[in-house]
Amino acid sequence: MREILRVDMSTQQVKREPLPERWKEYGGRALTSAVVFEEVPPNADALGPDNKLVVAPGIFGGTTAPDGGRLSIGAKSPLTGGIKESNTGGQLSHTLARLGVGAIIVEGKAAEGLWALVLEADGSVKLERADEWKGLGNYALAEAIAKTRFKDDRYATASVGPGGERLLSAASIAVTDREMRPNRHAGRGGLGAVMASKGLKAIIASDKGLGMTEHADKDAFNAATKKFGTALHEHPVTGEGLPTYGTQVLTNIINEAGGYPTRNFSAGSFEFAEALSGENMREITMERGGNVKHGCHTGCAIQCSRYWVDKDGHYKTKGMEYESVWSLGGNCGIGDLDAVGDLDRACGDIGVDTIEMGAALAVYMDSGAIAFGDAAAALETLKQVGTDSELGDALGNGAEAVGKKYGVERIPVVKHQAMPAYDPRPIQGIGVTYATSTMGADHTAGYAITANILNVGGAVDPLSPLGQVALSQGLQIATAMLDAMGLCIFVAFAVLDKPEALEAIAGMATAHTGKVWTIDELMLLGKKTLTYERLFNAKAGFTAADDRLPKWMYTEKLPPHDAVFTVPDMELDSVYDFVPETAAGMGIA
Amino acid sequence: MITIQLALFAKFSSRYPDPGSGRGARAHDIADGTTVGALVADLGLATERRITFVNGRHAPDDRQLAEGDRVAFFPPVAGG
Repeated sequence: MREILRVDMSTQQVKREPLPERWKEYGGRALTSAVVFEEVPPNADALGPDNKLVVAPGIFGGTTAPDGGRLSIGAKSPLTGGIKESNTGGQLSHTLARLGVGAIIVEGKAAEGLWALVLEADGSVKLERADEWKGLGNYALAEAIAKTRFKDDRYATASVGPGGERLLSAASIAVTDREMRPNRHAGRGGLGAVMASKGLKAIIASDKGLGMTEHADKDAFNAATKKFGTALHEHPVTGEGLPTYGTQVLTNIINEAGGYPTRNFSAGSFEFAEALSGENMREITMERGGNVKHGCHTGCAIQCSRYWVDKDGHYKTKGMEYESVWSLGGNCGIGDLDAVGDLDRACGDIGVDTIEMGAALAVYMDSGAIAFGDAAAALETLKQVGTDSELGDALGNGAEAVGKKYGVERIPVVKHQAMPAYDPRPIQGIGVTYATSTMGADHTAGYAITANILNVGGAVDPLSPLGQVALSQGLQIATAMLDAMGLCIFVAFAVLDKPEALEAIAGMATAHTGKVWTIDELMLLGKKTLTYERLFNAKAGFTAADDRLPKWMYTEKLPPHDAVFTVPDMELDSVYDFVPETAAGMGIA
Repeated sequence: MITIQLALFAKFSSRYPDPGSGRGARAHDIADGTTVGALVADLGLATERRITFVNGRHAPDDRQLAEGDRVAFFPPVAGG
């Protein structure tokens, strides 16, 4: 039975509540967005006591559903000013689910001090003072936490580094992987600042000795799980490409397509892309004895994670993701994986979003303050984030903050959040997602790269505006559903090509919850989730004018295809045409 | 004969006629009138699922190649 764990930081009271009947079908992003919609005033100060941080495993948390251990963290975002769900891997989702936690809702604000929320496997929960951890980076904090735990404990954590404590708009929340390294991040939207603003430095949860969560129909669940696992294994992307090269396999193909944003979105291909590529990263990692196939959470069937090691073979950071290598690499004109690894490690330790930091550094470089390609200067600049440096504060508040402070006009943001690793001019489908997502510019919200570039789930010409709105809308709905289930969105590559994979998700959901889930009902869950988010954002003041790319992307031609963004505004305004009807069905407005 | 730039990525890089020369794109001579499909067959990739780019844009198998074209083949890949 899932419960809400309500943590009032103002009074240090923790109480358990039954999961309300109206939220029984929700998990993950559906639950975080429902809570934020119902309980956070849209005009609340994102760093004030009225905002709430919601941490929720998906429906499949704590089960053996392949890739079912993703975690949703939600709040009002200090970066976008709208609703936020930041999704992360790591082990905490399974741990919380095994403890019976449907969601942790952290509210209020501690009058003083730093705190840790500790959940023990016996069901006890307490808030403990953690002032001695003030200022610690995520890695030093992980070591300090380990000293407080008993031998052979099995636990997972969520934590903030100096970036969060400094209340920066790009601060992340680090989550530990299976080896208890704090290297998975709820990176986007500044949720680390929300957590720290409440006085919370860490969540520590132990599931030592606890088993999997129970199913309504165990045999049916196992049968559906097997069907789903087979589909993932058989698809060439989830069964071969991602396990072999990780997400970094994208560098060469996005570069080939002319959609690899280079030097602050001034070109669409990078002359050193091969040096940054997944192929090269795999070779180097293997030469150094690093790990090239790893699951970020128990039950991951895809294994796209890996570890990056230094020249002496010592762990440096998690195997950098494609978006991190792009932002800290090509977007800054840096073509060296070791330099990118150093930058990625710094982001992870300080606790800031790699995408926002690379974008902010590139905007800073565009101001002329430091040169594109100067990796040493980039690292020195980045290390100021989380300190009392004025430059560090600007950087830590994101690309738009840097652009405004240093007079740069080419600022690649939507709803104040930096664009990720795909230029929307030659890949127009992702531009629709960037423009319209409730999250601000976010590739994961509706990953149109599938049909635009990868020929997964069909083919839509990336340089044409035709068909992009329908593509993005369908993907945004399906993604919200996967996020609610707690499934890794990479399962979508198999789901888009294999009808039996989607049927298996419905089968697993039915067998696990006891409620019959059809495919239509799964998609309705996605629509409901987006409806909560869209209505929250409207109440927070967002209008159609916010569902646009920056003006210069409609006029400034991107080489090599000399592309500009051409999807008409009227079409962008139709992406959320399902919201009024869905809201009426939900009885909300 | 015409000369194209040939780029083979991920697991396809072992299919270069001279695989010992590394992963990078390289000049490759083909007969006038060669199509993408014929080139694929020559490289032993005819039965492989793949994504094809000519000069940075997706291209079908009946696309006839021209002097100086850059041709890139990828196995199914995705991420994000």
